[in-house]
Amino acid sequence: MGLTALISSFLFSAEPDWGFWLPFAALFVLIEFFAVEVNDRLLQSSSVMVLMSAGVILAILPGSDALFGLALMAGLGPLTPADFKERRWFQPLANFGQFALAGAVAGLILDLNLDGLAVSTDSLVHVLIASSVAAFAYAAVQTILIRRAVKTVYGRDNLEPWSQMPALFTGQVTMGILGGLIGAAFLIAERQAIIVFIVGVYAIGHLSLYAFAQLRDSHLGSIRGFVKTLEAKDMYTRGHTERVAFFAQIIGEELKFTGNQLETVRWAALIHDLGKLAVPTELIRKRGRLEDEEYAEMTAHAQLVEEILAEVDFLQPMVEIASNHHSGFDGGGYGGSTHDEGRSPSLEACIIAAADAFDAMTSARSYRMALSQQYAIAELRRNSGAQFHPEVVDAFERALSKTGRRWGAPHVDDEEMARRLAEDPELSVRG
Amino acid sequence: MLSVTSWAYVVVIAAIGAYAATLADSDLSTILTAVSALVVASMVRVAASNAGNRFTTGLAVAAAVPMVLGADLGVDLAGAIAIYAIGLAIVWAIRYSRGEGHADLLPTLVRRFAGYVVFATSYAALRVGAFAELSGEWRDLFPFAVALAAWIGVEVILRALLVFGKRELSRGYLARSMIHDMNVFLGLAMTGALFGELWPAIGWWALPIALLPYSFAHLAFRRFQETKVTYKQTIRALARIPEVSGLGIDGHADRTTELATAVGKEIGLGPVQVEDVEYAGLMHDIGRVSLNEPQILRMGYNDDDLARWSSEIIAESPYLSRVATHVRHQYEPYRKPGEQTDPDVSVVSRIIKVAAAYDWQVHQDELSPLQALENLHAGAAYEYDPEIVASLRRLLESRGVLTPVRV
Repeated sequence: MGLTALISSFLFSAEPDWGFWLPFAALFVLIEFFAVEVNDRLLQSSSVMVLMSAGVILAILPGSDALFGLALMAGLGPLTPADFKERRWFQPLANFGQFALAGAVAGLILDLNLDGLAVSTDSLVHVLIASSVAAFAYAAVQTILIRRAVKTVYGRDNLEPWSQMPALFTGQVTMGILGGLIGAAFLIAERQAIIVFIVGVYAIGHLSLYAFAQLRDSHLGSIRGFVKTLEAKDMYTRGHTERVAFFAQIIGEELKFTGNQLETVRWAALIHDLGKLAVPTELIRKRGRLEDEEYAEMTAHAQLVEEILAEVDFLQPMVEIASNHHSGFDGGGYGGSTHDEGRSPSLEACIIAAADAFDAMTSARSYRMALSQQYAIAELRRNSGAQFHPEVVDAFERALSKTGRRWGAPHVDDEEMARRLAEDPELSVRG
Repeated sequence: MLSVTSWAYVVVIAAIGAYAATLADSDLSTILTAVSALVVASMVRVAASNAGNRFTTGLAVAAAVPMVLGADLGVDLAGAIAIYAIGLAIVWAIRYSRGEGHADLLPTLVRRFAGYVVFATSYAALRVGAFAELSGEWRDLFPFAVALAAWIGVEVILRALLVFGKRELSRGYLARSMIHDMNVFLGLAMTGALFGELWPAIGWWALPIALLPYSFAHLAFRRFQETKVTYKQTIRALARIPEVSGLGIDGHADRTTELATAVGKEIGLGPVQVEDVEYAGLMHDIGRVSLNEPQILRMGYNDDDLARWSSEIIAESPYLSRVATHVRHQYEPYRKPGEQTDPDVSVVSRIIKVAAAYDWQVHQDELSPLQALENLHAGAAYEYDPEIVASLRRLLESRGVLTPVRV
């Protein structure tokens, strides 16, 4: 489809002014290539600024049209060497088509409105209107096509990376409009220094964002480092935190959480057991029920660490969720300072609780085998509405079946055997 | 000390501004508009987190001023100086009356003014001078680039020279901290230049267009700084885990870090290394979380094990890979008899070694500061780096912790 758009645009429009096209296209590809994965609307859509600047310039210049130039430029953007190296053909092709089509639409609008316009300060309003329409169309075509592609490939449209599309939309349009203005201003002022300054400021901002993304990953890495240390204490809990984070994530997706909510739940899962770092290892490894004193010591230590973590402003909501993951839906159990006897904790805390209990049942312990997935789900169901949040349990079951993977030991499928193991007083569902 | 002299500076600068205004070619309304733009923009802080400098968007306005006041070739230099002086006087008057009277406000005022004036003067001189022959685009670019370089030079030099009452900071650290936050500085100056370039052609339309790339950069600076603050908070919180679990002495990590960063700044490390010192100090004993494992308690451990465990935990985050190496070597002696110093043991490791040993002796062994320092002195040259011990001594003396021995 995109290819057709490209070819037809080539047939119907005059050649762009290549002298202008080349540097802009290079810049556009560069920005697309170095796009940092940040949940940040300005960044993800910033390439549209360059595209619109070029479009306005190409449309206004006499003897040059924007249609083909923009379609080709936009199409080149998403092509990355990595895709070709790994011989992935479908994705770059789909991206190419989608970008080219959007670029062609924007180019057409600009051509129709601005061709042969005599630029001056007075006509800037004209440019403003034309580029708003073009930017809007560009963003709209992109959004619609991505939605469709995601739906055909993945069968559902609320996958995390794309769930923020509407939020991106406004940012894209704004950037596009201002990009168009820059293009016009460039033509009026006729000074190349302007481009140097724009690119300069922009590059500095981009470097900062890059540093930001690195720092954010590192933040996660530091927490993970601690989790590893914690898990090294007991070989049976190895990987527990990462699995709980995974389960929490798929439950959240099933419950149609937004990107930020998912992020919060993932972080909460990552730190949910951090308090155990402070607990003497014998207590963690101890088989069976803890004595009252030991139990008190364990919770006191864990809460102390959570208090310390609460000093980290960013982690505040996550700590609250994590500290309540032992509270039941009916308000039972124990929890942090926000735990209120008789009231259910937040939905997020219920998610962590279910994920935590599920992983505890489906992984092996020193004193029992891993239980099967069926058994674990049945157990969650049995306590649904009491210890576990019914909606969370439902969502969890659906999400698990979608992963197509099975957790736990398949050979403990036998209900009788599982029950016998589970009735052992040493096994606590609370993980 | 601050009040009278500080106000005197403000009055002097305001007077310079008023005098320059009488010489200016530009009309009064232009000057007043620019002054108010400078004042308003100076209220907007920009997060520069690499070395913690404070910049405001006033820098961008200052960079735009000579370009906006410039006609075809000439620049109204007197007008520009008037704008700077009056604007800065108002900004600082507001800051003082708000009670933001810390010691580095005064040097900042002097530095800012000098930097602005040098920038505008060199820009004006180059526009009519050396680069007047150049044609077209480059006639705008070269004077700006050279003037900007002059401005940066003045900033860096004055930063090192104008140290008011901050004996604990080496001049090297101050000068380098500016270079380290150069991205923010350049971003602001170039935004101003962008506005200045666009102004003659499209007037006030220049404002949204200049603001667009900048707002992107601004957002990036802010995000970076927020994450950095959060990151430090997290590391600090994690570093306290062994302490709350009774596996280390309370506050050791915090105190060691404070002392170590102060020593780092005193001996003239750059901001990057000082930051390494900070992270290394906070996490140098993080391996102690493993000390409640029965197996380890049974088999025993030594300092080298601790350093290894700590550095293994730190190495999990790629950002801290250097810090992991520093922490790995934190217990190595400065020099073994008959050998050269080990080049693998960085200055950061050596600082941590000294600071941690001092804090341990004072707070765990309950020695007096003087006794602890004497122990370090006794170990200097082999166990501890003598330069760092000397720096620690200077630091403690200037804080009044030690009373110098009198004979």
